Amino acid sequence: MDKLLRDKKAIILFVAPAFLLFTFVLFIPICQSIYYSLCDYNALTKPVFIGLENYRQLFTADKTMRIAFKNSLFFLVFSVVTQLIVGLILAALLTNIKKGRNFFKNIYYLPCVLSSAALGLLWMFIFTPKLGINQVLAQFGIEGPLWLMDTKGFIILPMWVIASVSLWQYVGQSMMLYMAQISGISTSLYEASYIDGCTKVQAFRYITLPLIRPMMATAMSLNAIGSLKFFDLIFNMTEGGPNHQTEVLATHLYQQGFKYFKYGYASAIGTVLLVLCLIVTFIINKFVKMENYEM
Amino acid sequence: MSKTLTKQKNKSSLVVKTLIYIFLSFLAVIYILPLLWVIFVSVKDDKTLFVSPWAMPERLMIENYTFAWTAGKLGTATLNSAIVCVVTLVLCLLIGSMAAFAIGRLRWKFANVMMTYFLTGMMIPVHCILIPLFTRFAKMGLTNSLLGLILPYLTLSLPLTIFIMTGFFQGMPNELFESACIDGCSIYKIFTHIAFPLSKTGLFVTGLMTFVANWNELLLAMVFISDDTKKTLPVSLSKFVGPYNTNYSQMFAAIVIAIIPTIVVYCCFSNSIVDGLTQGAVKG
Amino acid sequence: MKKKLLSVILSVAMVASLLVGCGGSAGTSASGKASSDGGVQEITWMFWDDLDATEDLISKGYKETVDRFNKDYEGVYHVTPITTNLEEYYPKLNAMVAAGETPDCFIVSPGPNLDVYVDPGVAADLTSYLKADGWMDTFNGGEGAFSQQTYDGKIYAVPLNIAAACVFYNTEMFASAGITEMPTDWDGMLAACQKLQDAGYTPITISAGTAWCLSMLAGYLCDSEGVDLDALNSGKASWLDSNVVSAANKMVEISKYFQPTAAGDTNDVATANFYNEEAAMLIQGSWAIAQINGANPDFEQKCGVFAFPGTGGRVIAKSDSLAMSANTKNPEAVIAFMKYFTDDTAQKYTAEVGGKIPVTKVEYDASKAPAQLAYVMDVFGNAKSTFGFYNESLASTEAGSTFDDAMVSIYLGTPVEEGLQTVEDFYKNNVWNK
Repeated sequence: MDKLLRDKKAIILFVAPAFLLFTFVLFIPICQSIYYSLCDYNALTKPVFIGLENYRQLFTADKTMRIAFKNSLFFLVFSVVTQLIVGLILAALLTNIKKGRNFFKNIYYLPCVLSSAALGLLWMFIFTPKLGINQVLAQFGIEGPLWLMDTKGFIILPMWVIASVSLWQYVGQSMMLYMAQISGISTSLYEASYIDGCTKVQAFRYITLPLIRPMMATAMSLNAIGSLKFFDLIFNMTEGGPNHQTEVLATHLYQQGFKYFKYGYASAIGTVLLVLCLIVTFIINKFVKMENYEM
Repeated sequence: MSKTLTKQKNKSSLVVKTLIYIFLSFLAVIYILPLLWVIFVSVKDDKTLFVSPWAMPERLMIENYTFAWTAGKLGTATLNSAIVCVVTLVLCLLIGSMAAFAIGRLRWKFANVMMTYFLTGMMIPVHCILIPLFTRFAKMGLTNSLLGLILPYLTLSLPLTIFIMTGFFQGMPNELFESACIDGCSIYKIFTHIAFPLSKTGLFVTGLMTFVANWNELLLAMVFISDDTKKTLPVSLSKFVGPYNTNYSQMFAAIVIAIIPTIVVYCCFSNSIVDGLTQGAVKG
Repeated sequence: MKKKLLSVILSVAMVASLLVGCGGSAGTSASGKASSDGGVQEITWMFWDDLDATEDLISKGYKETVDRFNKDYEGVYHVTPITTNLEEYYPKLNAMVAAGETPDCFIVSPGPNLDVYVDPGVAADLTSYLKADGWMDTFNGGEGAFSQQTYDGKIYAVPLNIAAACVFYNTEMFASAGITEMPTDWDGMLAACQKLQDAGYTPITISAGTAWCLSMLAGYLCDSEGVDLDALNSGKASWLDSNVVSAANKMVEISKYFQPTAAGDTNDVATANFYNEEAAMLIQGSWAIAQINGANPDFEQKCGVFAFPGTGGRVIAKSDSLAMSANTKNPEAVIAFMKYFTDDTAQKYTAEVGGKIPVTKVEYDASKAPAQLAYVMDVFGNAKSTFGFYNESLASTEAGSTFDDAMVSIYLGTPVEEGLQTVEDFYKNNVWNK
């Protein structure tokens, strides 16, 4: 058995295609991009090496970067926590009902399969004061707030709105991952527990949760990375406005790179984003995964 | 005594069940309403959209759909998108689960290093590699071809596939592999006959996720493809966004058209996930 | 067992063949280009709107021009449009330039957007072509028509049409509010707004959700306060000078006449407010004419236009321009193509259908043109001088956006000095120290 699993030829054969593709299409370009982050480069002229100047500016002089950083961290915490809780609750509820399980699951997952650009546009419409829910609220005599333009407070209202929309869109994904993993748990485990007098809640707490822990780490890492790289919804709902108040790292990167042609500077933001993702994934895997459970 | 207890238990569980269903239905409404609104807007005309966004359209503007279909060249676009996404999907599941199997199941020193290497792929902002990649592909003559889209899509989908599939392979019981080994299976046969088929739910979930991500990808497609006959669906949807104003109704009609294939694929895949649920799992 | 091994190897081989396939396709596409060089001269033209799906009348006119060119020059020249939407236009153009695949001809806005292509030599010098056969003389004002496209005496782009920013107004609302004289100065404007408000109308519809719309108003106010952009760009003036502050204060002053939802309305919504007769005035570029008349044809008769008051006869103008790649293999084809945009047919269309101001001295049928165009032409004709959009006239694209954003934040309640300080800071860090 062990010998079989240490077959070098097989390992190489299995990994090589992915490795080669990955190296050529992603790794080399990102190395190039990291080099650009040390340059003054606008994609139209040759890059000029300027050392760490881009990073110095990024961390000391760029006010938008500070806002983007704050918003990205807020987003990260919000989506990791809410997606975990809501995703687990939905998965647990749906695996425990028979009638309509398919129906509800399909509906909750539906927004995941739609383009976030289109959905961003849709929600932008809905939160536009002239057209959207404020008109509905006005029917009840309530004056709705400026959902996407209010700039008061530390975490401003638009960020909460966008974060909620992203929860709406992506929680189906977490739910699906948990459901898929729960489906792998043997029925006999539950049957045994019921014979021992466990309630369903207890069974969930002592059987399901520990067994899907690896998937929790996976789903949380996915959420964390996804929320740090989050772009489409924000870009289509607010474009980072008003006055950069809803900017996150990815939108700031886009604006700098593609609106103002500061490609070197944008690459520096990209590098920061990459490092941040690495750190967060490391932390999640360190504290959530711990060990692999055998089923 | 025991009878009343079970009765009570049944009663309380009935209450809990009802509460659960009420909660789920409430959520379902939040999910469906905005999406219905998309369909709703797609049969209105731009004029009434701004006057009375929530009012019923006076007349169904089916011509929004015909215009979207012909002017947006959605037929060709759908075909292109289908080719790109299906090829990517098949290759990605195959190559990805091969690598995941090696990382999750085979024993070698660099498995974790390799995993981290692939994992970083998910963290790379696509905007950063756009210009280096485009320059490289232009030199290889890969721009303006569907292959030039398949390669980056495939590569960008790999990390997620590997990440999730590794988890699935690791979650499989050891005994399965041990018994196969005793039967004299080669490692390749273990992969193709045991690990791969058994990770069906995982494959469906990742397949769905990568398919959807690629189906909706805009930026790379927009930059890499110039030829009108090779454009994919998201690029065609953006055709309705003009420099000063947007044809909302027609764009929403196009969005509805673009959504249909994903929903078809989604239904095929998601029901397979449910099969997995009913086969092995919790009985409610 | 061996069979399975074989299948795995096959799958690997498939990937390999895919990669090899790349090389193959490279060969074919290169040869495809070579063959086209022999007979028909192939050129590409990059544009920021789809030519088939668009409802923009100017874009539709461009499509006609392209078709006309390809038909007239069949067998000699052929142009292939490359279209994106505006959002991805510059990313794609820049990527193509970086990869050495600059389109032969591309559309660009004058100002900092054009600077980017002129400085590194991506755009070609067109002066000699323009002067060669009297092409330049067909333009209104001759060489003066190219002031925004000229760098060190060399012309790098050809303007295709001009849009002027004006105040569109609802004549019925003005009449019923008892306004007979159009305002000509700031106090008149405020008085008119007050009258309209007293008569129960929303005086002004504007979009702060789309920052450049609000910024257009701010640009007019700055200019009428005598803000000197050249002095600001060179560091001789400050964004905290009293004239900028007073312009910003004026914007705050008039903002009480905006529609209540102005803060969140996008450009589309704000314009719709106007043609749906929910507000009396709209400050917009003349491209809005097509949008207004297209959405509500009955409104054309009620829609009047006047110049933004109090600017001393200065008008904001914006033009689409065409640039040529410095590396094009077929400059004659590109020039022939550009001339099709400025010939009489295209320029007539610009005025009669597109509702923009033609750049050449073409005679067009004013009765065919939208009613508002005549008013805009009046405004434009009476203008003592023109100036560009503020966000396209500042030191860089980013400086323009910083200005826009500052104006929006002032409108949303940030104190004037604090808002202007952000522009000042940006200039300190990015413009004046270079």
